[in-house]
Amino acid sequence: MIEPTIRTGTPVVQVKNLAKAYGSNVVLRDVSLSVPEGSVTAMIGPSGAGKSTVLRCMNLLEQPDSGEIEIDGHRINAGRKPNPKNLAALRRSAGMVFQHFNLFPHMTVLKNISLPQERVLGRSRDEANEKSMELLKRMGLADKADQYPSRCSGGQQQRIAIARALALGPRVMLFDEPTSALDPEVGVEVLEVMKELACTGMTMVVVTHEMAFAGNVADELVVMADGGIIEKGEPGQILQDPQHERTRRFLRAVLER
Amino acid sequence: MEMLRAIAIGLPLTVLVTILALMIGTVVALPIVAGLRSRNRLVWLMSRGLVDLLRGIPPVVWLFILYYGVSIGAIRLTALQAGVLGLGVVAAAYLAEIFRGAISSIPKGQWEASSALGFHRATVWSLIIGPQTARAVVPAYTTFAIGLLKDSSIASSIGVAEIVFMSSQYARQSGEGIMVFFVAAGVYILLSVPLGLLSRHLDIKMRKAVAR
Ligand SMILES: Nc1ncnc2c1ncn2[C@@H]1O[C@H](COP(=O)(O)OP(=O)(O)OP(=O)(O)O)[C@@H](O)[C@H]1O
Ligand SMILES: [Mg+2]
Repeated sequence: MIEPTIRTGTPVVQVKNLAKAYGSNVVLRDVSLSVPEGSVTAMIGPSGAGKSTVLRCMNLLEQPDSGEIEIDGHRINAGRKPNPKNLAALRRSAGMVFQHFNLFPHMTVLKNISLPQERVLGRSRDEANEKSMELLKRMGLADKADQYPSRCSGGQQQRIAIARALALGPRVMLFDEPTSALDPEVGVEVLEVMKELACTGMTMVVVTHEMAFAGNVADELVVMADGGIIEKGEPGQILQDPQHERTRRFLRAVLER
Repeated sequence: MEMLRAIAIGLPLTVLVTILALMIGTVVALPIVAGLRSRNRLVWLMSRGLVDLLRGIPPVVWLFILYYGVSIGAIRLTALQAGVLGLGVVAAAYLAEIFRGAISSIPKGQWEASSALGFHRATVWSLIIGPQTARAVVPAYTTFAIGLLKDSSIASSIGVAEIVFMSSQYARQSGEGIMVFFVAAGVYILLSVPLGLLSRHLDIKMRKAVAR
């Protein structure tokens, strides 16, 4: 089932000199990041470091003050007002998974996954439902299709949210602490799905506090603090032998918990 | 029997005034909500001012102004028109606030997921925010409708022959005094109780489906 991973290395996501401030609160200063096709980048760092903000800037949920974002060839310059077509194309290339799932509570699970396909990709209802069922089966949730999200556990809801994003055929999946709102045992279900996704060659950027995932699944680890990237590289190396004092302090705090 | 006849004659107008004012209020509330949510300061200020003006003046005064004060060319509003219009625009102000509250009660994540998925604005409103707002608004909306049903009696002050108007006329003519008003009260209750029940039924049904 697990296909061999193809890593061609061309970047799917490129972020250059991203900066953002809320009023006088500087949240990001000069963040640059490149995510090669088929790779998994994990982002860790203390609370308030700006991890979510970087992720949310990537698909323009948050408007950066300056810098440049390119996903799958669709480039957006923060200085200029984004051209709506380009913005739509960029967002179509990036699937996003949130900490709190953000499923649509007034629609069945199937509709949650099918509606975006119908509206954004213009698929027919039947085509969309077929794709949705295929993904639900892959997530082990085929029996939940006709339920409302509130009837599903947190772990199931998060897998549904992953299916919803995957259904649009994104080139990269962005995860913002996908397991932080879940009990550890339930989080495992979600991490399994993410691991499998990584194995099939999906490009992923994952903000997480799950050190095991960061160490075992990620190809690159990015450590952020105070609005900047302080360290990045091979996960094993950083976790074993962090170069930066701030990283050491953060890892100590996380691992001693 | 004469008494019941008087009330029966008033009943359709009570219902008509209520329904028309509610319809006007609902429709007019929508642009006001848009204004209240606007990021343009001037638009926001004007909408805010309009809501406060409409709510700040007693409805009966609005009816007097519309009935006695407004003449467009040779046209003057009839009592029914003035009553419906006056109650309608005042309702719009209250409903705008109710809608605004319901919209802002929808979690930010719904907007974010919609944007991240790449929905157009129209899709977000019609399929994501709109339906959830409609559900959130049911209890407050029916409470308001029941209030409006009773407030429609204000239209009697400019001579709309609804239940209260007919009742007082009957009381004066027959000299039977208070009795007719008890009957009128009973009719109002008969009208509003089913509305309340329907609202609760709807609310529970929708909550069951999408309990959050
Ligand atoms: N909408 C906002 N308005 C003002 N300040 C904000 C807003 N969003 C985030 N911030 C600030 O930006 C900084 C970075 O936030 P961000 O959510 O990116 O951190 P994070 O690294 O994801 O932290 P966490 O691990 O807690 O999720 C924080 O200081 C936060 O207070
Ligand atoms: Mg965060």
